[in-house]
Order: sequence, then structure tokens, then C-alpha cells
Amino acid sequence: MQEPHDDGDLLVILRHGPHGSSWLKEGLDAALVAAAFGRRVSLLFMGEGVTALIADQQVGALGQKGTAATLEMLEMYDIETLLVEAQGLSRLGLSRDDLMLEVECLSPVALARVLSGHRLVLTF
Amino acid sequence: MATTEIYRYLSIASQQYAIDPEGYLVNITEWSPEVAKAMASEDGIVLTPEHWEILEVLRDFYARYEMAPAMRPLVKAVGQALGPEKGRSIHLMRLFPGSPAKVAARLAGLPKPTHCL
Amino acid sequence: MLLHIVNRSPATSRVYLQALAGMSPEDRLLLIEDGVQGALPQLVPYYAGLEGRLFALREDLASRGLLGHCDASVQVVDVDGFVILTEEAERTVSWY
Repeated sequence: MQEPHDDGDLLVILRHGPHGSSWLKEGLDAALVAAAFGRRVSLLFMGEGVTALIADQQVGALGQKGTAATLEMLEMYDIETLLVEAQGLSRLGLSRDDLMLEVECLSPVALARVLSGHRLVLTF
Repeated sequence: MATTEIYRYLSIASQQYAIDPEGYLVNITEWSPEVAKAMASEDGIVLTPEHWEILEVLRDFYARYEMAPAMRPLVKAVGQALGPEKGRSIHLMRLFPGSPAKVAARLAGLPKPTHCL
Repeated sequence: MLLHIVNRSPATSRVYLQALAGMSPEDRLLLIEDGVQGALPQLVPYYAGLEGRLFALREDLASRGLLGHCDASVQVVDVDGFVILTEEAERTVSWY
């Protein structure tokens, strides 16, 4: 069996886009709390979650805050490992150039490896 | 998180400022340096230039990220804005004793930091 | 080895794709709640390639009247078996 990789303490998988539900916000909150307490946190944007990264997001139709400012803030919490499911992007016809932050795209094999490599995985 | 519950009013020169149960401004747009001074004096803190520059860092942080920072990102933001000597928790502890992220956010007219206990 | 847990039917939700994307070759997959529909012969092809590593929870199959409809390639486990699967895995990852 493969040895677990030491990628970090916590992997937060974000599978929902902004504005549609509170899942993305809650996942980001969990990541920020862990980071505020000194845990090493990685984020993995999967499926529809990749849309959280699309550049040039605005407030919602009723003026409600989005999550883009929170994503900009991640570096202040030393959350620098931002991973994206490559298939999630290509399924929507998006590429890295469409995203607001520098990310690492993961092939299916690399993605499975990342899950094994974290001591705790939370899916949102 | 910002609350809308009014616990008491802070009076400054016949103006009334609504304060929530944890001491934060209910309406953050009402903030002014006078409000900060009045809140600080309730805490027994006299605001010096060293305090004000931290409050400014916090207000910039909030303007950019729409959230009040927990302690670690506050230390980082202060370090980036004011240099490594000031970007240390001991410096913030000295200026805003107790829980610097919360005390300083309160005085800066920000909502309560979301990501600290 | 991780134990992945899916609680949605592949007939109505694409969550199974995320679980599959997250699985390493030795990982196991347990179907629970509405996810047990994936154990039906008509739907089990969604999980092609997981032979020997695909499990479904007996209690959730039974409550839905599906116990007798399970594909032979799916290993049916009860709650105690669920506990054992959990113990054998380094960690569990839930997909919902």
C-alpha cells in the first residue's frame, strides 16, 4: 500500500458555486477557522465548485455578498494550496485563465492522491 | 459576525451610537475616530499613534476582504503594512490587551472577527 | 486505503462522479441511504471497475425493499460491517 503523503492537516473539498447555496461559504469558513488555529489547509475545488474561482464576480441580485473577497483573503490566512479538478474546469469550458487566483490543476490520478495525502478531508 | 441587536447606546456629544451585546457598533457606517476614542476610554485604553495605525490596517483589511481578521491574519496584515517589528502578536497584545483581534476590530468599527473563538 | 461513502443515487445525482474521481485504486466505496440504488443491476455499471471494492448497506437496502434486487458484484454489509470497513480504512470521506 502507498504511504500517505504529507500534504497538510486538512483538505476542504468545495463542490458548490457561489450564490446558489451556503455550502461554499460554510466550507470556506471551516478552512479559515482551521487556518486561524495554525492548521495547514488545502482547498480542492471540484465539480461545480470550480465556479467559485471565476474572475470578475459581483454581488448577488439582492446585493448579497459573494465569496470572491473571501477567496482573495485566503493568502492572509496562509492558505496557499489551491487545487482544482481539471475535469471540473473543462466540463464547463473553462481554463485557468478564467480564474481569479493562481491554482494547481489536478488530473484524476493526482486528485485521488491528494485525498490520501491529507489527515482530514471535509466535503462541502 | 455583525449583529443587529442593540444592547446599549454610546453617547458622544449628544449623538447616540447603538452598541451590540459584545460591544461592537451595530451600524458600522457610523464609525468615526471619535467613536473609537470613546470605546477605547471605556476599555481604559488611550489611543496613541501606534494604536491608530493598527486600526487603519484593520479598516483597510475590512474594505478589501469584507471580514474582520482573526489574530494570525491580523498579525500578517500588520507586518505587511507596518513592517516586521510591528507584525508580531506581542506588539498587538501590548496595545490591545486581552484578545487583540477582537478588541482592535471593535475599536476600528468592524464586526466581530468570524474565525476566532 | 480510504473508505468513500455515497448517499445519493447515481440515477438522480452526479455526486458518484466526484466520489469516483476521488478514489485511489485500492480505496473502497460504500453505498448508503438513497445511494444503495447504485447496487441495482441496472445502475451498478456506473461503478464499473470497483468489483470487490463496492459495498452497500443492508439496512438501507432492506428499508427500501431492494435487498433481493442487489447485483451479485456488490458486497452487502450490515451496520457492524460498516464499522469494520471504517476501522479497516485510514479515513472515511463522505460524498453527499
